[in-house]
Amino acid sequence: MRHLSDKALTRLRSGADLPDVGGTRYRLIGQVARGGMGVVYAAEDELLQRRVALKVLEMPGSEGELANRLTREARVLARLEHPGIVPVHDVGTLPDGRVFYTMKFVEGQRLDHYIESLASAPDRLRIFLRICDAVAFAHARGVLHRDLKPANVMVGSFGEVLVMDWGLAKILADVTHAEPNDPCGNIPRLPANGGIGNTSGTGDGRVMGTPGYMSPEQARGETELLDARSDIFSLGALLRYLLTNQLPAHPLPKLDRSLEAICAKACAPERERRYAAVPDLAEDVSRYLDGLAVSAHRESIFDKLARFYRRYRFFIWLIATYLLMRVLLILLIKH
Amino acid sequence: MDHDEFKSGDGRFPATRWSVIAAVRSEDDADRKRSLDTLCETYWKPVYKYVRLRWNRSAPDAQDLTQGFFIEMLERELLNRFDGSKSRLRTYLRLCVDSFVMNEDKAARRQKRGGEVQHLALDFAGAEEEISGGTIDAAAIASPESLEEFFETEWLRSLFALAIEDLRTLCSERARDRDFQLFERYNLDGDNEISYAQLAQQYGIAVSEVTNGLAWTRREFRRLALERLREICGDDDEFQREARTAFGRNAG
Amino acid sequence: MNKILLGLLIGALLGAFDGSTAWFYPEARAQLAGIIVGSTVKGLIAGVAAGIFARKVNSVPLGIMFGLAVGFVLAFLVAYMQHDHYIAIILPGSIVGLIVGYATQKYGATPAAAR
Repeated sequence: MRHLSDKALTRLRSGADLPDVGGTRYRLIGQVARGGMGVVYAAEDELLQRRVALKVLEMPGSEGELANRLTREARVLARLEHPGIVPVHDVGTLPDGRVFYTMKFVEGQRLDHYIESLASAPDRLRIFLRICDAVAFAHARGVLHRDLKPANVMVGSFGEVLVMDWGLAKILADVTHAEPNDPCGNIPRLPANGGIGNTSGTGDGRVMGTPGYMSPEQARGETELLDARSDIFSLGALLRYLLTNQLPAHPLPKLDRSLEAICAKACAPERERRYAAVPDLAEDVSRYLDGLAVSAHRESIFDKLARFYRRYRFFIWLIATYLLMRVLLILLIKH
Repeated sequence: MDHDEFKSGDGRFPATRWSVIAAVRSEDDADRKRSLDTLCETYWKPVYKYVRLRWNRSAPDAQDLTQGFFIEMLERELLNRFDGSKSRLRTYLRLCVDSFVMNEDKAARRQKRGGEVQHLALDFAGAEEEISGGTIDAAAIASPESLEEFFETEWLRSLFALAIEDLRTLCSERARDRDFQLFERYNLDGDNEISYAQLAQQYGIAVSEVTNGLAWTRREFRRLALERLREICGDDDEFQREARTAFGRNAG
Repeated sequence: MNKILLGLLIGALLGAFDGSTAWFYPEARAQLAGIIVGSTVKGLIAGVAAGIFARKVNSVPLGIMFGLAVGFVLAFLVAYMQHDHYIAIILPGSIVGLIVGYATQKYGATPAAAR
């Protein structure tokens, strides 16, 4: 048995780690990210001559939970055609037996990196509203994301906001139709209750998600109880992060009362107290941006006056200036 | 993509395979012996080097301790106590080695042992050469993290070396010896990387042949290494974790 | 409320108020009603101009400058006709134009077809 030098070991490890795309339309360019489920590579689609992101399992095999999850993720993405959700192009199995799918290559930054350069709270809120749009669309298509967090949102170089990583998505309702002649016949079949229908990739009660961003019911593994309000909890945590740059576990700096109330309502431990749907949450944030009262916060008369002043501040100052100038002119002419 | 080309489930990647842990707990003596052989085959060299360098034992002492450890593993049914939910098999075995060496000062006890692993022809001289070859810096494995890292690297070296032997056999059976030579030349020989074009020139073949040969051998090497790995893992979770360790770290 | 209507309303209100301040000038009290009507009409013209401008151009600074210019021109014409009280007429008139210009840019709805 031959001795392997450290250099040979390194070469073997990295060489064997690369997905085998020989004979496919793809050419690997480089690794982009590595996550719990697989690795994302930048690749060139040589037929269409465009760059794509190729997400591939680390392990070969089209059976097993991870393969099912990756395939489910691709199928979830395929049913979610929305400008705020990364589009999937292809799914299949590589010659080395690894399940993969390709999607749009997003040139941009993860949200947690992007907001470091974004000073204004309204700009952050506007980004949040676009995340809400995408999530609301997914909910309307019967899909829960279940892992919403800053690292799973990309902001493209043209300011487009894309919700990524739907590997933990739960499909609540069947809104697509399985064709009898499935054109992707070679990709792994989802288990009978594991693909389309009232199911989830982690429906066995195991806890999957990100602490701080997942709802209490998700953290307890009560997967059968999860509905849109679970994602609303995550959106609330994400909103807090956007406004404070702090992870939810950290003590939070004081926020504007209306925003604090919106966050608190979205992140209420009891789901009955949360917003019923994402558009309700988005509506409150939009109203806040427009200087209007939000449903999550019952205002006192002082709050109302303060909000009125904030909303019409410049106009009020113009009128005050006009009045002052008028008074000065009268006094000047009288004397 | 032409999906027909890439059908999975063609038998190249068996989803389930004999696991050493299941076999060692088997009632069947033949199964148990086979499991120990497999473990010895993969682990003896990492264990030997570990005893030599971590415990600073002389070569003859380390040889005795290595043989003794595997005998002890069988006699005391150490693997029956392994709990996959608490640690990886690799870490468990390393800690067993630590405990064994600490308790095993009685040379007489070791010598009177014969046992079921004596038949394994362990190439201690080869292992000794590797140590003296200067690839391992004994001073750098002082901390607990570096101990784990050292043992992991040696374990991986041993696993890959076995997989390469499997690959050599496979290539020979399939009359693809040239592909194996390309694999060796490209991945294992020398310190400087050689390009596909240089390889093609050296072997007098087209670059596309080099590309195809290397892609095939790389794929088969990965498959064989994973098969070996699956054998020495307690369960599928551990297999997934270990596979990530084996292939994930240096990529990209 | 659309931008033209908003411009008319604010222009009329500020114009009427601006005219009513003539009460503080005893020599002008006799023509107070005429001054209020004239000033209101001036405000209405500035308001409708700023409202139309805001429907065409979506820019607060440009809206402010446009309102200021319209207010100034209208007030200058009034002052020129009177040959008196240039500052007392032009300064507030210009500021009324500025306010209407700002308000029509910032508030009020734009019909989709007008974009």
